[in-house]
Amino acid sequence: MTDHALKTKPVDHPSFQLPASLAALALPLALGGVVLLIVGILVGLSVGPSARFTMLAYLTAFIYCLTISLGCLFFVMIQHLCRAGWSVVVRRVAELMMIAIPALGIMYLPVLATLWGDDGTVYKWDIPTFDTDTGVSSDSWGEKKQYLNAPWFMVRSIVYLAIWSGLALYYFKLSQRQDETGEITLSERMQARSGPAVILFSLCTTFAAFDWVMSLSPMWFSTMFGVYIFAGSVLAAHCTIAALTYLLQSKGALRDEVTVEHYHDLGKYMNGFTLFWAYISFSQFMLIWYANIPEETEWIYARMTGVWGNLGLALIFLHWMFPFLGMMSRHVRRNPTLVFCWAIYLLMMHFIDIYWIIMPEAESSMGGAIGIVTSLLLTAGMIGLYFGGVLWFARSNNLKMLAVRDPRLPESLAFENI
Amino acid sequence: MTDKSEPRLHGTYAEFDSVEKLLAACRRVRDAGYLKTDAYTPFPVHGIDKALGIKSTVLPWIALVCGLTGTTIGVSMQIWMNAIDYPYIISGKPMISMPAFIPVSFELTVLLAAFGAFFGMLALNKLPRFSNPVFTDPRFDRATDDRFFLMVEATDAKYDMAGVKRLFGDFESLHINDIYDDTSSATIPKPFFVILGVLALLATVPPLVVARMRVTNSDSPRFHVFYEMDFSPAKDSQVTSTLFADGRSMRPDVPGTVALGQFDEAIDFYTGIDMDKLSQLDSPRATRLVRALLDGPVANDGDEPAVDNTVDEPQVDEADSQVDTAVPQVDAADPQVDATEPLVDAKDATPEVAAAEAPAAEMKDEPEEASAAPEAAQLPDTTPSLPATPAGVAPVTSPAVVVDTTPWLTQNPLTITSAVLERGQERFDIYCAVCHGNDGRGNGLVNRRAQKLLSSSWVQPSSMHQDTLYSDLYADGKLFNTITNGVRKMSGYSSQITTRDRWAIVAYVRALQASQNATLEDLPADKRNEIKKLQAEVMKRLAEQAEAERKKAEAAAAKKS
Repeated sequence: MTDHALKTKPVDHPSFQLPASLAALALPLALGGVVLLIVGILVGLSVGPSARFTMLAYLTAFIYCLTISLGCLFFVMIQHLCRAGWSVVVRRVAELMMIAIPALGIMYLPVLATLWGDDGTVYKWDIPTFDTDTGVSSDSWGEKKQYLNAPWFMVRSIVYLAIWSGLALYYFKLSQRQDETGEITLSERMQARSGPAVILFSLCTTFAAFDWVMSLSPMWFSTMFGVYIFAGSVLAAHCTIAALTYLLQSKGALRDEVTVEHYHDLGKYMNGFTLFWAYISFSQFMLIWYANIPEETEWIYARMTGVWGNLGLALIFLHWMFPFLGMMSRHVRRNPTLVFCWAIYLLMMHFIDIYWIIMPEAESSMGGAIGIVTSLLLTAGMIGLYFGGVLWFARSNNLKMLAVRDPRLPESLAFENI
Repeated sequence: MTDKSEPRLHGTYAEFDSVEKLLAACRRVRDAGYLKTDAYTPFPVHGIDKALGIKSTVLPWIALVCGLTGTTIGVSMQIWMNAIDYPYIISGKPMISMPAFIPVSFELTVLLAAFGAFFGMLALNKLPRFSNPVFTDPRFDRATDDRFFLMVEATDAKYDMAGVKRLFGDFESLHINDIYDDTSSATIPKPFFVILGVLALLATVPPLVVARMRVTNSDSPRFHVFYEMDFSPAKDSQVTSTLFADGRSMRPDVPGTVALGQFDEAIDFYTGIDMDKLSQLDSPRATRLVRALLDGPVANDGDEPAVDNTVDEPQVDEADSQVDTAVPQVDAADPQVDATEPLVDAKDATPEVAAAEAPAAEMKDEPEEASAAPEAAQLPDTTPSLPATPAGVAPVTSPAVVVDTTPWLTQNPLTITSAVLERGQERFDIYCAVCHGNDGRGNGLVNRRAQKLLSSSWVQPSSMHQDTLYSDLYADGKLFNTITNGVRKMSGYSSQITTRDRWAIVAYVRALQASQNATLEDLPADKRNEIKKLQAEVMKRLAEQAEAERKKAEAAAAKKS
């Protein structure tokens, strides 16, 4: 199938290792991230708008990093499910990010801890007098309370994290083992399990989105919400994979393995999922807008008015139209630097999207300058900790940046777009 | 005949049994500078575009342009349909509501982009074609199986059979051969036409059947392709229904409620009367008016009139409010009646009307009309205002004795802007001009028709330009009340025209009246100059005409003599 002279490198070739410059960044990034997180929390709690605002900003940062990892997990499973050949050279990067899910679970604990207080710092449904405070009928609140109560919520959160971690660890472990042994049966097993795995993943992600993000407005619901979060996360994952791959290549790793063809495909996915995100987001919006039923519109209304409304309108152009048209040309997609730039841009837009989803619950404004500073500190902190952690994990376990003995690697190396 | 014997050369091909050999050959052919080449493979081969030097296709641009055309069509079509041609409010959404327009626009985008891609691809491939010369060679059948072919076409600038064969000789090919144009018969086999003819014949049957059905009667019942369209479950108006016990299909307004936006203005706005003054002058009447306004047509036990003459609500049939027929001006009016116009209202002051009006004992403040039955909440005119027919009886108006003591609003509560006047004009032209004419002289289409029919019970609509209707004798509020509740044969229009629009019509009527009495000083300065200019022109032309006439007369006289 290939006419390329396969550059036969030994499996322990240095270009498959984490470049030293990036490895050196690991600890500073992680520690810096922790520091920024602590500073952000302190700033938020002391001079910030409120404790609720701070915790919601923390939740935003957490969900942002979580969506990247979840998207990477989905990416890995789907590549196995489709027996994809093109993606083998970039799959390890995705695996490195998906394995952060267990650690991310720990980062969710502060949010879970707020449930201890019963004062609804993050989740208003935790307040015992929610129905009387808000005038919700006690019948419907009784129904909701059967789902939205602290113990059951915590159990569910642990279940989601357990399932995701289980899936991530399974695929990671088997991939690592394949690095050693090159067994084809491992690929077959991963492929066979990927079907049920994707189903399990979808259910977990949907309900985690419902629990962790949608329940911020306890009386509001949208069946599209899980898909909405998913769409953003798959987009973010592809962008992160492209960006990290570019960074690795810029530092000397994977220079011969990842070609312009792979960037082309990643670019196609970024473009496609930009449109997919816009489609899902609009579907959710339009149905609520058109029916105009008050019990459904509260969420959209808060995000359509005032400063959030301007941000939402900007998202249409900045998160959809501009990147979609910009990445449409194959010449853009076949330029790794341009793909990298668009990836960074879309990751910023993804943050604004998550911000727009979560933060209106805290304030009708953005919390003023202090509020924005707090949000940015926490986000930067979380991102620093996240990537620092990923790099540190790769460095300390001496992980290869390429699935060196994957049976489909030759196909991936020789991959050519039509 | 030379074509038949010497078929045209199409090109030369080489046959390979593996992708690598084909690709290597492609590259060599490309590097040798041949442009009109093509490769035939059973499956898409990665990298063959580059190997053959095929230029990127223009198809993506076709798809993009078609897609954008679809978007434009979708958006503009919906804007035209919903906001311009037939402005239609759906569920309170704006007329141009982009979220609602997006699904259709999106689908049109995708549809036209898909059409562009599909038909564009066919067009760029010059398809459909009946045949390709390569099929003359039976070896080519394996192009869809397990063989790979590379062809250099004879139309290439550098083509030279020997040269190409030499180049091909370097490749590891299985076979090299020339392809000539297909010389087999291109005539379409006869059975094809026979079948086509039969189908065409059969195709005429359905239209003929339909045509026959259209001109014949049938005993069988109609069949309904879309039953629910023919028998829609929606309730028709003016038809009893089984939905509610009283046979209505809608509930009337709940008495004692006020709809959103219903009474945003002061109450004078809705009655046309200065209610403060009225409550001092005639407090029971003021109370009744307010009650009628608020209670609407439903609060009717029979004792109190179900009249809401001063409210913006649809007049319910049971309301005996449409009693404009019997304005009992009979006595005073008779001698002033135009003999040519039978005053029917005199006849209509019948007992039944009187009986109907008895319970509706509302405003009765015309002592001169004491003999007549009181009207239901309706204020009769001060003087018998007869239509001032242009050709006819000089309207004999009685001396301006104003007996109507109702404190009508003398000033239009609206701020008169050109927008208000335009609105008033538009509404006047819709609702009033049919009878009163666009110029307000009372000779609208209905009047003309009635004259043509020599309708015996017709009363010519009033002209707006009688001085009895000018604002000194007929206040704005009274005009408003006439529009709202009607007068004599005219019914009230409160159910068709909103309160605000009625005031706009009042303003417009005043403008109409002014237009017939305007002097040059009423015009703004620039218009004045225009008129003066026109005047000067007309005078000049008249002078010229007179001059010409004079000359002609002189010439004629000179000729005679």
